[in-house]
Amino acid sequence: MSDLVEFRKATKAFRGNPAFRDVDFTLRAGEIHALLGENGAGKSTLTKVLAGLYPLTSGQMLIDGKVCALASPADALKHGVAMVFQETNLVPSMSVAQNIFLGDERFFNRLRGVNIMAQQHLQGLNFHIDPTAKVSSLGAAKKQMVEIARAVHHKARIFIFDEPTATLTPEEKQHFFILLDRLKSEGASIIFISHALEEALAVADRISVLRDGQLIVTDAASVFTRQSIIQAMVGRQLTGELYGRVGGRRRVRPPGERVLSIENLSMGKTVRSASLSIFAGQVTGMFGLVGAGRTEIMKIAAGILKRNLLHGGRIRLRGEPVRFRVPRQAVNAGIAYITEDRKLDGLFDTMGVAQNIFLGKLAKRANPIELVSMRDAIKQSAEWMTALKVKSIGHNVRVVELSGGNQQKVVIGKSLIQSPSIVIFDEPTRGVDVGAIAEIHQIIEKLADAGAAVVVISSYLPEILNLSDRILVARQGRIVEEMTIDEATEEKIMYAAVH
Amino acid sequence: MSEARTTPEAKSSQKLIQKIFRSQEGIVFALAVAAFLVFALLLPAFASPGNLLALVRSVSILGILALGMALVVIARGIDVSMIATMVVSVSWAFVLARSGYSFGIALLIGVSFALVVGAAIGALIAFGDVPPIFATLAAGSVIYGLGRTFFFKLEMQNVPPGNDWFLFIGQGRILGVPITIVAFGVLCLLLHFILSSTRFGWLTYAMGNNPAAARITGAPFRPIVIAQYVASSFIAYVAGLILASSASAINARLFNSTMIYDILLVVVLGGIGLNGGHGSVRNVVLGTVFVGILLNGMTIMNIDYTIQNLVKGVVLLLAIVVDSLVNPRDEQTSQQGDL
Repeated sequence: MSDLVEFRKATKAFRGNPAFRDVDFTLRAGEIHALLGENGAGKSTLTKVLAGLYPLTSGQMLIDGKVCALASPADALKHGVAMVFQETNLVPSMSVAQNIFLGDERFFNRLRGVNIMAQQHLQGLNFHIDPTAKVSSLGAAKKQMVEIARAVHHKARIFIFDEPTATLTPEEKQHFFILLDRLKSEGASIIFISHALEEALAVADRISVLRDGQLIVTDAASVFTRQSIIQAMVGRQLTGELYGRVGGRRRVRPPGERVLSIENLSMGKTVRSASLSIFAGQVTGMFGLVGAGRTEIMKIAAGILKRNLLHGGRIRLRGEPVRFRVPRQAVNAGIAYITEDRKLDGLFDTMGVAQNIFLGKLAKRANPIELVSMRDAIKQSAEWMTALKVKSIGHNVRVVELSGGNQQKVVIGKSLIQSPSIVIFDEPTRGVDVGAIAEIHQIIEKLADAGAAVVVISSYLPEILNLSDRILVARQGRIVEEMTIDEATEEKIMYAAVH
Repeated sequence: MSEARTTPEAKSSQKLIQKIFRSQEGIVFALAVAAFLVFALLLPAFASPGNLLALVRSVSILGILALGMALVVIARGIDVSMIATMVVSVSWAFVLARSGYSFGIALLIGVSFALVVGAAIGALIAFGDVPPIFATLAAGSVIYGLGRTFFFKLEMQNVPPGNDWFLFIGQGRILGVPITIVAFGVLCLLLHFILSSTRFGWLTYAMGNNPAAARITGAPFRPIVIAQYVASSFIAYVAGLILASSASAINARLFNSTMIYDILLVVVLGGIGLNGGHGSVRNVVLGTVFVGILLNGMTIMNIDYTIQNLVKGVVLLLAIVVDSLVNPRDEQTSQQGDL
């Protein structure tokens, strides 16, 4: 078999932070290639480069033995590369037929003609979908079929599937695998990103494992076992340097009062009957892969996502049932949610450091016609600026100009100035420099020592193991495993998280 | 290289010039000065004290309305229903006064109407998640239609007779300064105080800067949105009273005029970005003065009204383009890749 796609020493960095580096990856003609790895290992970015979404920072990408630099997804499609995203890329208000021919319409489109062509095309693929149906009325599996039909129509020969089975029911999954086989038998090559190891083992011809942006291993699927994949996914050498205490014994904080308990919480497809408890005076780590619903569960608890009344579940705060409709109610009840995406909903980016932190206090205060001044802001935020070691920066520096670590500290300060009793950190060290990671971890530990109930949601196992006293593992919208730090190992957690 | 040889003073003045031209505010300020000088040199009548006073007076209504607009624009909203609120609430008050209510009561009913309208628009935006531009555009038509159908029939509503004190607002002077200008000044100071020194003002900036972050931080999001539109409606009512008093009447036709675009012209030209989060009363004053110079100069030159509109439109477009170049939204997020 020849190499259809080849990456040579390929590196992609976002503002200096490599998503993957020096990757040598090959895709052979007519194979199904599974790409595995933790969140943030660089799988998605690698395939997005192939799909023309990003250019490489350094290194080369070869398609059919020729060096290619793809400018756009349309360009990639010309080379025969089609990506089927986790969230489908269809126009929901248009019909199936219109979607298939999207971007390929003639000047005049007779609806009937388009429908007939689409019908023939779908039948040729043996898909049972009505071409006149609106895409928004289809289920996840059918939407995927439409995307595949569109890709085939555009004469794609390399298909990239990013988490294709995450939203499918078991029955739909079977259909999907049959479809993969048929695509393969027609000569297509497939890259298949998944967290479901069994699926990868069953379906793929070859498997590649990425970890921390590096390609760890590529081999025939028959060589791997579930155990060896997990080991390849989590085994780290650098861990020890960054997280000095991993593996070492440390004092485990005993659980205090049960401050938050969630029972059978459900919302749509992302949270399905999740139950958990959070105790004061300790750090509860929450681990899970993409789509496990960790963030959603905690966002519901913090009132950021409003729960549909039809969906069930109960949230109790210190024994009292609560149902927060807006974040303000949760903040006033002492719950602080520290966002995973500080640019999106964490920072007031053109304001100064002191002002950002002070706004946390302002937002919580009750008196609406209270007078404030810059002097006030500097005075009130000074305590947290010292504690978070952002004092040296100066209180007027706009947060846009700060490093990721300092920005994260400002977001943390903005919440902690509200003196919450339950603090939820969502990916507290994402995009944060190494020095600041240690400082943020100290802040988290201090909070728990001081008696707050701390929740740390993280996709990075060493972080979970380093911080937590107690670990919850989420999978497909449920909490599937609970363990104390003494029983936890990376393998054990990962074993519970994958499916 | 030459910079090394320049003296410190020259350097600092260079920096100042750079600073002026890098911000939109600075550019507009420079343009305003340039326009002033050009008009003053070319048009002998322009720089006379009488004309300058008339200039400021004529735009101070616009300036007052722009203050209300600025407040909502800073919070990433927009209120294009201001003119409708203004003409309907004031006209209704006058009709009531002539139909037998005492003038004071009538004015109170007028202001209550304006406040209720503001609260309703705010609630529509805060609870209904309607984009402000559509909410206020539709609300403007509804308010005007309601007014013309149920409250008053005539376009022109004169100030009820026997209220000379009321006419004093628009036509009188304090220490030689027309009260209209004084009112603009007082409202400027008031809004400046609210924006810079109250919790409401700070949270307004925060909401304009990043609405999602303001919500998550626990700011009373909805009440603040409602308060903003109540304030802009109230300011519209005040502007309407001053306008009616200086002209002895209010003309409902203003709703169909280009006035709302002039207000936006003032706000955007002054440097309050339409994407919210920045700008201050200073920007409104700057915009008001510049638009005032422009309009007054063109009027003295006897330029046709249609051409004036054309000039205003072009200037507004330029200002919006410059605004989006100087204050790009999402400069960060567009750089950030997802892993």
